[in-house]
Amino acid sequence: MDVIVRTLVDPTTYRRLAYLLSALVLGPVWFAALITGWSVTAGLAVTPLVIPALIVVAFMTRGLAEIEVRIARALLDVDAHPPSAHPIRPGFWAWLRAQFSPSFWRAQAYLLVRWCVGFPVAIAVLVALSAAFGTLTWPAWVPFVHGGTNIGFWRPHTFLQSLAGVPIGLLLIPISLLITRPLASLFQTIASALLKPDPVPVATGSSDTLLRRDGPRRPPRYALQIQIAADSVLVFAAIAVWAVTSLGYFWPVWLVLPFGTALAIHAWIVMLAERPSIIAQFRGSRTLAVSAGVGAALAAFWTAIWAVTAQGYFWPVWPILGVAIVLAAELMVALVVSPRRAALTERIETLETTRAGAVDAQENALRRIERDLHDGAQARLVSLGMSLGMAEQKLSEDPQRAGELLAEARAGAEHALRELRDLARGIHPPVLSDRGLGAALASLASTSPLRVEVSVHVAPRPAPAVESAAYFVAAEALANATKHARARQMDIRITRVDDLLELEVRDNGRGGADPNGAGLQGLRRRVEALDGTLSVISPRGGPTTIRAQLPCG
Amino acid sequence: MLLRDGLTRLLRDNEIEVVAAVSDGEGLVREVIALRPDLAIVDIRLPPSFQDEGLRAALEARRRVPGMAVLVVSQYVEHTYAQELLADGRGGVGYLLKDRVMHVADFLEAVRRVAAGGTALDPDVVAQLFSRRRENGPLERLTPREQEVLSLMAEGRSNAGIAESLVLTVGAVEKHVQSILSKLELPQSPTDHRRVLAVLAYLQQAD
Repeated sequence: MDVIVRTLVDPTTYRRLAYLLSALVLGPVWFAALITGWSVTAGLAVTPLVIPALIVVAFMTRGLAEIEVRIARALLDVDAHPPSAHPIRPGFWAWLRAQFSPSFWRAQAYLLVRWCVGFPVAIAVLVALSAAFGTLTWPAWVPFVHGGTNIGFWRPHTFLQSLAGVPIGLLLIPISLLITRPLASLFQTIASALLKPDPVPVATGSSDTLLRRDGPRRPPRYALQIQIAADSVLVFAAIAVWAVTSLGYFWPVWLVLPFGTALAIHAWIVMLAERPSIIAQFRGSRTLAVSAGVGAALAAFWTAIWAVTAQGYFWPVWPILGVAIVLAAELMVALVVSPRRAALTERIETLETTRAGAVDAQENALRRIERDLHDGAQARLVSLGMSLGMAEQKLSEDPQRAGELLAEARAGAEHALRELRDLARGIHPPVLSDRGLGAALASLASTSPLRVEVSVHVAPRPAPAVESAAYFVAAEALANATKHARARQMDIRITRVDDLLELEVRDNGRGGADPNGAGLQGLRRRVEALDGTLSVISPRGGPTTIRAQLPCG
Repeated sequence: MLLRDGLTRLLRDNEIEVVAAVSDGEGLVREVIALRPDLAIVDIRLPPSFQDEGLRAALEARRRVPGMAVLVVSQYVEHTYAQELLADGRGGVGYLLKDRVMHVADFLEAVRRVAAGGTALDPDVVAQLFSRRRENGPLERLTPREQEVLSLMAEGRSNAGIAESLVLTVGAVEKHVQSILSKLELPQSPTDHRRVLAVLAYLQQAD
C-alpha cells in the first residue's frame, strides 16, 4: 500500500507519464518527416539533387534526435546523446559520410520506435486513464446521458447506480498510473541503447591494425541475402497470385525486372567489396567498376523491357548510348588521372600488408626471445643461485661438498652465458654491425658443419636493417640446409648493384623446402617490410636456391 | 664497470699490480703511453658506441707502443678479430671469451703468458679456424691426438702446458709437435709464440 502511495505522489511518475503521452504527437510527426525525407531522397536518387536531399535528411534527423535527447534527459532521466559525426579525413565527402554514422542510424531507429511502439503504447495509456477518470466521474454525467453508460455486462443509468463508478474509478486511476513506470523503463532501455554517441576513433592507424589482426574486413553480405530472400518471396507470391487468378497476361514480369536489376547492382557492389582484384581490371578505379556494373545492369533492364513489350523500334539504344558516354568519360578520367592514383592505391595496399607482416614477425620474435630467456638463462641462474646457497651452507661442515657445489655453480654460469650469447647472436650478431656482412657471414660459415663459400661485394655498406635482413636470410637458409636438406655445401653470394642488394644462396641438398613454412614466411615478411622480394626455388630432389633482392638506396 | 672492478680484485688478489683502470679507448691509449704497463686487458665493447672501440684502441696502443702486450676479452669471439690482432706477427696477444675469467687458474696463466710475449687464443676461435678446413686437406692426415695437440698449440700453450692439459709427458708432446709440423710442412721455430703464429697462419689459409 505504502509503495502504491509513494508511486502516486512521486513527481517521477508524472514525468514518465508525460513521456509516454508525448508519443501521441511526436510519433506521427517524426514518422511523417522521415517518410517524406527518405521518399524525396529516393525519388532524387538518380539525380545530383540526391546530395542536398541527403544533407537535409541528415540535418533533419539530427534536429529531431536533439529534441528527443532533451525529452529523454528531462522525462526519462536517461543519459542520452545526439548522434555524433567524426569525419576521419578532411573534405566534403568524408564529412557527408561521417553524417551517416552508426549513431545517426540508431537515432533514426529511435525516432521510428517512438512511432511504431511509442504511439500504440501512448494510446493504451490514454485509454486506461480516460476509462479510469470516466468511471470516477459517473455520478457527474451518467444520470444526464440518455441510456446511461454501458460497460458490457451492466448498464448503469440512475444516480445511485452511477455512484458505484466512484470506487471503481478510484481503483483504476492508480492502476493506470502504476503501469506507466514499467512501460517507461522499457523506453529507458531503448533510449539509452539508441541515443548514444559513437566511440571516437583514437587514431585510424591503430584501428586499422586491429582490423587486420582479425583478418580482412568482410563487407556485410547479409544485406544481399535478405534482398534475395525478400525478392524471391515477393516474386513467388506474385506468380502464385497470377496463377490462381487469371493466368492471362504475365504481369509478374514487371516485378521480376526491377527486382532483378536492383539485385544485380547490389550483388556487383558486394562482389567489388569482397574481391578488390576485380577493381584492378578497371584500371584500379572503383568508380569506373561500379559504373560499368550499373550501366550493364541498366542496359540489360531496358533491353528486357523492350523485349517483353512491343519490341518494334529499339528505343533502348538512346539510354544505353547515354550510359556509354558516361562510362567513356569515366574511362578517360581513369586513364588520364588514375594511373598515379592506382599505383598509389596499390602501394598503400602493399604497405598495409607488409607492415602487418612486419608487426607480426616482430611480435613472434619477441615472444620467442622471452620464452628462450625464461626457459634458458633465467632457469639456469636460479639453479646457480641454489648451488651457491647450498655451498654457503655446507662451507664449514663439509668443505668438500661445498667445493663440488661451487664447481657446479661455475659450470651453470658458463652454460647460462653461452645460452645468452647464442640468443643475442640470434637477435643481432655484433660482428655484423662492427664489420659488415662479409665478416658476419664468414663467422657464420665458420660455425657451420657445412662447407660454405661466401662471396660478398656490397661496398658501400647498406643500411643496418638491410644488412640484418640479408644476414638472416643467409643464416636461415644455412640452418635449413643443415637441418632439413642434408646439404654438404652452400654458396652464399651477395652483390650490390647500384641501389639493389642481391642475395643468392644455393645448397646441394635434397630440396623440397616449404615456402610457406614458418621460417621462410618470417624471412619473407622481413624482406618485404624493406620493400624487397624473396623467392625460393626448391624442387624435390634439390638443389634449393633462395634469392632475395633488397633496395638499399 | 662490473667486470673491470671484478678483474681488478681478481688480479690484485693474485699479486698482479693494477696500475690503471680506465673506462674508454682514449683513456687506454693515454695510460698505456704514460705508464708502459706489462699488459693491458681490454673489453672489445667500450663507450661511446659499444661496437669494437676496445679492439681499435688495443691495436692503436700496440701501434704506439710496439711490443705492448694486450689481452682482449669479449662476450663473443670472432676469428676476424683474432686475425686483426695477430696481423702484425708479434707476440703478446690474447683474445679470450669473458667466460674464461671463471677458470681463475687458467685465466691467470693466460695473463702471465701474454704479458711475457706469448699468445692466448680462445678455444672457440681455434675451433672456428679448425672448422674451415677442407675435406681431404692436410689437417685430415693428422691423428685425433695430433689434432688435439694442434688446437692447444694454436691457443698459445707451451709444450709443458699442453702436456699438463692432455695428461701426457712433455716428451710425448714434443714428439707429437714434431710430427704435426712435418705433416703440415711448417718451419721449426725456436720460440713458442713464433710456432703459434705459424700454426695460426696455416689455419687461416687452410681454405
